[in-house]
Amino acid sequence: MNTIAEHIADFLKEYPPFNNLSFHELSDIATNIRVLNLEKHSVLFQINDVLHDSFYVVANGTINLTTIADAEETILNKCHEGDIFGLRPFFAKNNYMMTAKAREESIVYAIPIAVFRPFVANNSDVLNFLLESFAVNSRHTKDTVNQGSKLISDTGYYNDQQTEMQYIQTLTYNNSPLTTDQNSIVKDVAILMTEAMVDNVVVCEKNNPIGIVTEADLASKIATGRYPITETIDKIMSSPVVTVIENVSLAEAQLLMLKHNVTHLCVTKDGTSKSVVKGIISEHDLIVAQASNPGVLIKEIKRSQLPKDLKQIRDRLSDLIQNSIQKNIPISHISNIVSEINLAIIKRAVELSILDLGSPPARFAWLSIGSQGRKEQLLLTDQDSILIFEDVTSEKYRDVKDYFLRLAKRTTSILEKVGYDYCPNGHMASNMLWCKSLTDWTKQYNSWMNTPGENSNDLSSIFFDYEIAFGEPKIEEAIEGVIFKNATNNTLFFDFLGNDALKKNSPLSFFKKFIIEEEGPHKGKFDIKTRALMPLIDSARLLILSSNIKGIKNTYLRFKQLAITDSKNAEIYLSCAEAFLTLSKFRTLEGLKNDDSGEFINIRDLTKTDREKLKNALTPMKDLEELIKSKFQLTQFS
Amino acid sequence: MLDWLKNINKEHPDFWKNYLTKFETKPNRFVVISTETSGLNPEKDVILSLGAFGVVDNNIVIKDSFEAVLLQYKFLHDNNLSNEFIVESKMLKLLEEDALQGLIDFIGNAVLVGHHINFDIEMINAGLERLDCGRLKNEALDVDMMYRKLKDINDKQFSLDDLSEIYKIPKSDRNSPSEDAYRIALLFLKLKSRLGIK
Repeated sequence: MNTIAEHIADFLKEYPPFNNLSFHELSDIATNIRVLNLEKHSVLFQINDVLHDSFYVVANGTINLTTIADAEETILNKCHEGDIFGLRPFFAKNNYMMTAKAREESIVYAIPIAVFRPFVANNSDVLNFLLESFAVNSRHTKDTVNQGSKLISDTGYYNDQQTEMQYIQTLTYNNSPLTTDQNSIVKDVAILMTEAMVDNVVVCEKNNPIGIVTEADLASKIATGRYPITETIDKIMSSPVVTVIENVSLAEAQLLMLKHNVTHLCVTKDGTSKSVVKGIISEHDLIVAQASNPGVLIKEIKRSQLPKDLKQIRDRLSDLIQNSIQKNIPISHISNIVSEINLAIIKRAVELSILDLGSPPARFAWLSIGSQGRKEQLLLTDQDSILIFEDVTSEKYRDVKDYFLRLAKRTTSILEKVGYDYCPNGHMASNMLWCKSLTDWTKQYNSWMNTPGENSNDLSSIFFDYEIAFGEPKIEEAIEGVIFKNATNNTLFFDFLGNDALKKNSPLSFFKKFIIEEEGPHKGKFDIKTRALMPLIDSARLLILSSNIKGIKNTYLRFKQLAITDSKNAEIYLSCAEAFLTLSKFRTLEGLKNDDSGEFINIRDLTKTDREKLKNALTPMKDLEELIKSKFQLTQFS
Repeated sequence: MLDWLKNINKEHPDFWKNYLTKFETKPNRFVVISTETSGLNPEKDVILSLGAFGVVDNNIVIKDSFEAVLLQYKFLHDNNLSNEFIVESKMLKLLEEDALQGLIDFIGNAVLVGHHINFDIEMINAGLERLDCGRLKNEALDVDMMYRKLKDINDKQFSLDDLSEIYKIPKSDRNSPSEDAYRIALLFLKLKSRLGIK
């Protein structure tokens, strides 16, 4: 027993499964520990490495557990301080099924299996924890966190299931293939294919497939003049056709295509050519299935039936964001994609609610407002939305409003299950105030914009960033028209917005030091949202409204557009646009690191270069502030 | 005139002879070492406590450690110092000769690693001289020198706290040579991989 072993035992006792052991037992374990330092991106073990004689605990830093599929590294899990990983040697003899790689410089404790095994055998709580960690086949999601323990899966079983799940789930194929019988004329079949916009047709005899004709057959046999277009189809078909059973996995389908050197597989009821045709799998289906790419996610969203399916997709989206950031894809790109996916989720949530409640009694528009309205939502933030329905006669009004409120309640609750928290300020369509007819909304915007400050409790600038998620685009246009009509030469309104934008506290002190939170739960951290991002967002909105530019909803694009419209200040706008991207990236990284909204950044954790980068991103704000002050003559207020 | 010959033939203690034989093989282990001394003069001052860890294959082996408080009653008495810290310490308490013998057995032929290690070695050598032993033969690495070499800095020294700060090694509020040795060991691992030392 030495001093350091004691410290390590002190550390371990905070985390499962070690919290089930006595301090004496922990001291024994700690004495036998080895301490390793892993440089950023160094690999502790990788797939197919021989098992180590130890498992590992993260003492400091973050370790990514990844698997490689299709030359693509997929993160299975992130291990933070106190998490255990590399449990495989406890339960299996074959080699590692995943790669453990340091995401940042990390220190890990290696606990020899031989030393720990007796404690496992003698303590059922410890054993259970290890088993659960090893066998858990769900993703590390909010649910597992809520159970109070972070389980880190470590199995091949999990891996296989993971890949299989992805494959099966995403291997969608045409299940109503074009069929024809062997006596059809080539020309007729070609017309049929063109009309159906497919590149293949299955030739059947009593519903059983006997051959297939693809565009390649038409090109090589008809277009070359070898056969006339009046020939019967059986002369030019490729036969026999390769058949598979219905729930074939992606990997299997891929192998079959390679083996038989074909581009299409015919799905039949029992997998032989002696049964009914069920569908056709094309090479294209496989390509689509392979990557967890945004297109696939959107497709899957459209097919989801339950909130939990949507949630699972949203979880995968987080991985996508993280991978994209790691690959240094520009943040403006990523946020575009993410917004589209978020939008698709919201859309699907509304659709699911409509499926439950029956069709709406009037046309309506579901608008996302706030950050989603600006297409800047990278992390799971809260939901902000409004609902506008078309004007109806007064006797129908009550029923219609009632229907839309129910619709909104249902939708927001679905979204909440997906992981978007309710807006703490109640800025949601399910709120009576924000679910009303077009006329009422027009009145609302008129009063906000012509008499700002009088009912200022209600006025939040987020209502001026909106994006239609579902419904009638004309309604959105109508509201946009109202806003821009009111905005013209509306000094009072711009004064109000301007002061609102500038009242946020500055991010740097007089001595160019970060101003950090002085009290509260985030004491000592830098509030990047309120102090840095919000002023930029508010200013961009103000300037774009006052310049009467419609349709540009994203802060980055707004600054870019302003640089064109107001070219004498272009330099300021462009540096603001860049600064906005930099700050968003900081926030997103922080959010991914802590699984939260990333609002508060711990300055001390940043490297020196990052700190400088962050500081540089804050400098354009001063110029922007001056610009706004002079443009709107705000000095009398501020 | 032949006094120096006497010295050469002077009988060393057994543990020292044993130590010398270990250098017939090449070292495959590092030992990180830190001492706490009564002052900075190797002639007059003594080691009060020491801590050491073995590092093998980029691993700090917690079990492979040596730590002790030295019972320097005479020194403390002569200099009118309190021996309270000895009483309070939970570490192993040894007489200087036993501690040094234990340390020599522990380090063997390992490459020594420390922060400003030359001073630690001088202190140990002074102690060894009192036991009729020779001087330490181990190679030695200094983490401060390693850092300066890495960054190509020649005009400045870095304290252990400075280096810990740079590499974000958490400081511990309890202060003992073992903890210093552990921090040096972490620094050593980080610097070692950066410098590409095998």
